[in-house]
Amino acid sequence: MKKHHYNPDACTACTSCVIHCPVAQAVREFQGPKLAGPAGERFRLQEDEWESALEYCSNCKNCDISCPSRVPISTLNMKARAQYYKTHKQPLRDWILSHGEQMAKMAGLTPGLANLGMNNVVSKAILKTIGISNKAPLPAYASESFIKQFKKIKQQTYANKAVFYPGCFVNYNQPQVGLDVVAVLQANKFEVIVPEAAVCCSSPLVVNGYMDEAEANAHKNIAILQDYVKKGYPIITACTSCGLMLKQEYQELFTIEGIEQVASHIYDIAEFLLELYDKGQLNTNFAKQTGRYLYHAPCHLRVQGIGTPSLELVRMIPGIEVIDADAGCCGISGNYGFKADKHDIAMAVGNTLFETIKTSGIDTVLSECGTCRLQIAHGAGAKTVHPISIVRAAYDRK
Amino acid sequence: MRTSDVIVIGGGLAGLTAAIAAVGRGRQVTLMTSGAGTLAIGGGTIDLLGYLENNTLVATPRAGLSLLPPEHPYSKVGSQVVEDAVQFFLTMCQEESFAYTGGLDQIQWLPTAIGTVKPSCLVPLTMDSTPIQTASQVVVVGFTRLKDYFPELISKGLGTIPGFQKEYQEIVVDPGFTGGRDVTTLDIARWLDTIQGQQVCREQLVKHMKPGSVVIIPPVLGSRPSYVVRDTLEKMLNCKFVEAVIMPTAVVGLRLRAMLLQRAKRLGVTIMEQAHVVKAVQESKRVTAVITGNVDRERSYPTKAVVLATGGFFGGGIVAEHDSIGEPIFDLPVTAPAEREEWGTRNLFADAAQPFAKIGIQVDTNLRPVNSEGQVVLENVYVAGRNLAGYDYCLEKSGNGVALVSGYKAGLNC
Repeated sequence: MKKHHYNPDACTACTSCVIHCPVAQAVREFQGPKLAGPAGERFRLQEDEWESALEYCSNCKNCDISCPSRVPISTLNMKARAQYYKTHKQPLRDWILSHGEQMAKMAGLTPGLANLGMNNVVSKAILKTIGISNKAPLPAYASESFIKQFKKIKQQTYANKAVFYPGCFVNYNQPQVGLDVVAVLQANKFEVIVPEAAVCCSSPLVVNGYMDEAEANAHKNIAILQDYVKKGYPIITACTSCGLMLKQEYQELFTIEGIEQVASHIYDIAEFLLELYDKGQLNTNFAKQTGRYLYHAPCHLRVQGIGTPSLELVRMIPGIEVIDADAGCCGISGNYGFKADKHDIAMAVGNTLFETIKTSGIDTVLSECGTCRLQIAHGAGAKTVHPISIVRAAYDRK
Repeated sequence: MRTSDVIVIGGGLAGLTAAIAAVGRGRQVTLMTSGAGTLAIGGGTIDLLGYLENNTLVATPRAGLSLLPPEHPYSKVGSQVVEDAVQFFLTMCQEESFAYTGGLDQIQWLPTAIGTVKPSCLVPLTMDSTPIQTASQVVVVGFTRLKDYFPELISKGLGTIPGFQKEYQEIVVDPGFTGGRDVTTLDIARWLDTIQGQQVCREQLVKHMKPGSVVIIPPVLGSRPSYVVRDTLEKMLNCKFVEAVIMPTAVVGLRLRAMLLQRAKRLGVTIMEQAHVVKAVQESKRVTAVITGNVDRERSYPTKAVVLATGGFFGGGIVAEHDSIGEPIFDLPVTAPAEREEWGTRNLFADAAQPFAKIGIQVDTNLRPVNSEGQVVLENVYVAGRNLAGYDYCLEKSGNGVALVSGYKAGLNC
């Protein structure tokens, strides 16, 4: 670890992480991040069976956000969880939830049928028996993946190129977000490249302990993205968890040649556009809109240390009012809230956010993270939109 | 190019106060934080000045101010600024519906979990100890499995202190928590945030308490900056609560931080979490941008002024290596005894000052950093809080006081 302190002994046991942990707040069975992470490391050196604390961590990273000593607490938990499952049996449920990409590819053969299959009573009962909550907001598959739709777009060619890494959720579940990213980049005179061979960032693999597969994916992605980085192209993501994994968690977890160079070229789409603005190059020819929104900052954005660029960007559009919900974690944390034994915890974690939304009098919530959007729709009954779609609409309606 | 009027580095009491004071003057403020800061786990009272250098008790904080040496941060900014900062804080708390009580003309004596009393200045209404001093009987409430909190220790200790020699009775409340985790005051405070928790607590207390009782309780009367939980329970039980000072993590600091964050955001301060500032761009004696160094890359943020409130040794604002000491962002001069042997005294529990406590950055009367000749090193950088040299918060009981006063002053000047 170069720039990141990886030393668990940097932990001073100040407990800042414990008081800011949303899971510890929701469930007393969780020992909290300090014991699960840095303190647990000491016990794990001696005992094999010290895993009970690891079970509850959702990898939401509020511990990392609160730590004054920059200990990557959540990553210590994830590494220990992977180590634990090397010698212990892992449920089928975890495999299914970590392999969304493979599941989507299978479903992609017959998405209509797959969605029908996921959402009927019988299938939900089957999912429940393997440990997936029958109340959880499982995402529907799109009828056509982003990459398939992207190939049909006739882009304007420009000298400026940008690489867009869609990630599984945009590719298989909500391709419209990806199409909006492409349209916005085109409106800013960038030609978009989508690396088709890139694989799942491995965020769901890491949280479920499939560390070897995650490392293999990381090697593959870095090798692919490296070629573009060498040409000086920026790598853009619209999913905050993919972005965090590519630029930060890979470095915390794995040693891969060239990883730092790739990390230094990864941008959140809104961050990228604001950098264009700073250089006087952003197309600010926004048509006046009408809209009042709440904004939910995903935890995986907050931990990146780049502020909330989407909020800033959307506020540049005339006629749009956005209020920062500022109500903490939504609870879903990737696929944590899909698990039968974690669904209630996830709902308890998100309760402050849900109540904030319900009492706001605003019916639409903006958020960059796909699973945050699912959880917000599920817990607060609100409409949800990726902020980039608002930006695209402002370019379109002139 | 987006340029801030002020970038405040550090989200503790000094940084938040500076940000709120500056945004109140119409400045466009960005607050950069790294971690949640000690404010969240600390005591949350504003201890302004309890003891002088020779360990003598002040008559009042105001009387103590005039006896401080010229290098003390309070002496640097002057007593009028101290007075204004106290007023600024009290008004702010009032406006946020989370009033604090106290002032420069009296010491607030606070009962502690080890049965002693500690001098403070501005305290939340839940910690005002006047009801104890006027009562004849006092109930000390503890909670089952709560760590580091023993009602007997409190009554035994307080019973020997003038003004606190009362008839004490101890009661233990069982919140019925499951799970193997240690019980903290925050767990209990979150439980008492709920109506169900309040009712269970009432049921267990009501049978032991006479109407009009004064009750010492750990800081558990709600996790948020509000007196709703206290008011509800006092009404239910017809009693008066006084929260005791405890070890970290104390919920009192968490409440104060939440109140300050809420105010800062509402007034328009832009807050960037996990923005680890590593260095700055300078043009002669002015800083034009600060640079964050996150795991992925460095980013530059242009600004017209900077408030440096990154803390002391614990917060990372001052870093001591084996053979060096420094301020890591601007490389500001840090004043420390030349020989390491002179940093500490070996009599750890002698109630005497430890020289390392006063290590910090020397500033002018406007809190701008100066070199050993007293010349300003950076004209648009203002230093606040534990970065500052010349005070010993531990001995003086002046930690949050210096943070508040210097944060306020920096926010006015930047």
